[in-house]
Amino acid sequence: MSISGGGNVDLTKLSENDKQELQHFVMMESQKSQIQSAIHSLTDTCFRKCVSSKISVGTLDKYEEPCMTNCVERFMDANKLVLGQLEKLRSTTG
Amino acid sequence: MASLSAFQQPSADPKTNLMNQVRQEAAVSNARQLIEKINEHCFERCVPKPGSSLSSTEEKCFSTCMEKYMSGWNAVSRQYVARLQRESGSGLTTGL
Repeated sequence: MSISGGGNVDLTKLSENDKQELQHFVMMESQKSQIQSAIHSLTDTCFRKCVSSKISVGTLDKYEEPCMTNCVERFMDANKLVLGQLEKLRSTTG
Repeated sequence: MASLSAFQQPSADPKTNLMNQVRQEAAVSNARQLIEKINEHCFERCVPKPGSSLSSTEEKCFSTCMEKYMSGWNAVSRQYVARLQRESGSGLTTGL
């Protein structure tokens, strides 16, 4: 992650405690941003699948809402499945 | 977008400064991704044949579509985080 518009932060002046706290903070932020990216990509995929009728209201209707949640669950099941299969392949081929 | 730091409270503490900057950047990047996706989806849905300007119907469709996409985003977000928590059992308790 680049810090634009910065340049006013002198990291050399930080104490060891502060450095550790920052390291932890950056790790958490990076994890958060990874999760957010995954949510964006899932919303993209699931919206395409679940919202196919004419858009007339700003909320998800009674078909779309469960479709979106199922879509997330099944996508992750599929993801797990692929990983499992790959793992199996790897262990059989040595 | 040039100077985000202008919005921040100037702080004497370099650590807090840096943390605020990172938070700010992350929020902007998250918003940008959402806007990009909304534009992509809603343009496709609401403007099948681009005319010389956006019609009022198209504009109305856009705002409805935008709300719908954000509802979808929220639903996905809730479900995804719940699943992560179910599978990891711990951590990830901080709000997004």
